[in-house]
Amino acid sequence: MAFKKDSVMGTMVFIIILSLVCSFMITGTAEILKERKLVKKRDEVQQFVLKAASIDYDTSNFREIFSNRVTPRLVNLESGEFVEQENILDFDERMAAINPETSSKPKKDIAKIKTRADNIRMFEVRDENGQLSSLVMPVYGKGLWSMIYGYLAVEPDLNTINNIVFYEHGETPGIADFVTEPEWNALWKGKQLFDDKGNVAIKVVKGGAKAGDIHGVDGVSGATRTGLGIQKAVVFWFGAEGYQTFLTHYAKAEVK
Amino acid sequence: MSNPTSTKAILSTPIFANNPVAMQVLGVCSALAVSNSMQTALVMTLAVTFVLVFSNLIISTIRHFIPNSVRIIAQMTVIASLVIIVDMVLQDVAYELSKQLSVFVSLIITNCIIMGRAEAFAMKYPPHLALVDAVGNSLGYGVILLGVAFVRELFGRGSLFGHEIFTTVANGGWYLPNEMFTLPPSAFFLIGVMIWAINVIQRKRG
Repeated sequence: MAFKKDSVMGTMVFIIILSLVCSFMITGTAEILKERKLVKKRDEVQQFVLKAASIDYDTSNFREIFSNRVTPRLVNLESGEFVEQENILDFDERMAAINPETSSKPKKDIAKIKTRADNIRMFEVRDENGQLSSLVMPVYGKGLWSMIYGYLAVEPDLNTINNIVFYEHGETPGIADFVTEPEWNALWKGKQLFDDKGNVAIKVVKGGAKAGDIHGVDGVSGATRTGLGIQKAVVFWFGAEGYQTFLTHYAKAEVK
Repeated sequence: MSNPTSTKAILSTPIFANNPVAMQVLGVCSALAVSNSMQTALVMTLAVTFVLVFSNLIISTIRHFIPNSVRIIAQMTVIASLVIIVDMVLQDVAYELSKQLSVFVSLIITNCIIMGRAEAFAMKYPPHLALVDAVGNSLGYGVILLGVAFVRELFGRGSLFGHEIFTTVANGGWYLPNEMFTLPPSAFFLIGVMIWAINVIQRKRG
């Protein structure tokens, strides 16, 4: 039978073959790059954690600094205790947050994250003498358009913010770029997460926080909703459905 | 351009006389967006070159088998696959740069130069000519992109490929960078000037 390319059959056969070939090309490339991507991702996490902990590093020594000073931990938010697991650095937090078996719906989803993972990966950072210098915890929530992902480092008093960094967001380019700028992140340094009653009091203030406000961070005009999203994310993650149980446990354990 | 006479003509006309960006005004969207620095312009040119060369080659090779009714879809499938591959490779080798180019790499799919060459040339001519045509058009695209990026980065930031050429006032030098050149509208003016210049020269030649 001669191949008639313009017949219905010919068209079908052609499209199926073409689709198959093209999909093989793409999956082939993805497979080749997979291992390298995993390493890159691990490197990126390490660098952002160091950045969040305000530790200077360069591209040649960050792995060494990380392994000397940082302990990745997996925390069960329900019980507030550490979960033992191998290779916590490779823990896929995004997958854990969407898999129905390892996540749940928050009752008050103020950060609009839809589902929250039961176990969260965080990082204990120690100084040269082995003393805890900060705790780097992930915070994420919805801004105006997109999920904003970041790490917040708290000092050993578990109240004072050491630093905050954001590593991924899809907010309006040019307007919401400030979230990744060190100048803006530095505004968070020294702010207190909790008020006297133990509620999360951190605020991103439209028009600028008053001088001496220990809970307020300046908002950026034109990006009010982005700032509000970040505020809500922090409030959520340090609230009752976030790290509260863990922090109470941790504070007791560290006292000894 | 409908009847290419020689291989040399196929290669050289799109660089200048029938430049895809300046004369056919195709692919202008990405040319405006990524031409604010030499580095992004160069990477974008390389990405477009890769996609254009392979799409022209593949489509020209299978041109006798492509059913007429689905030819655009077939072209799009090939182009889209190539763009996804470029995107993945770019994210692997130059992650930071791929973030700067952001959506514009994926948008190569809709770059009219590539679709245009596939439909107008690769569907009608054998692979070796299609290859030459792809290289010629990529060069044409690259010439405009790098030309615009040269002016924009030099006057907008006083640097080329990130190396300082004019010492800026901020660094204690004499040059006050003209911020307008880093913004997209300046590319409009520059491409406009280029179109005008090419037209004038063309007319003189007759």
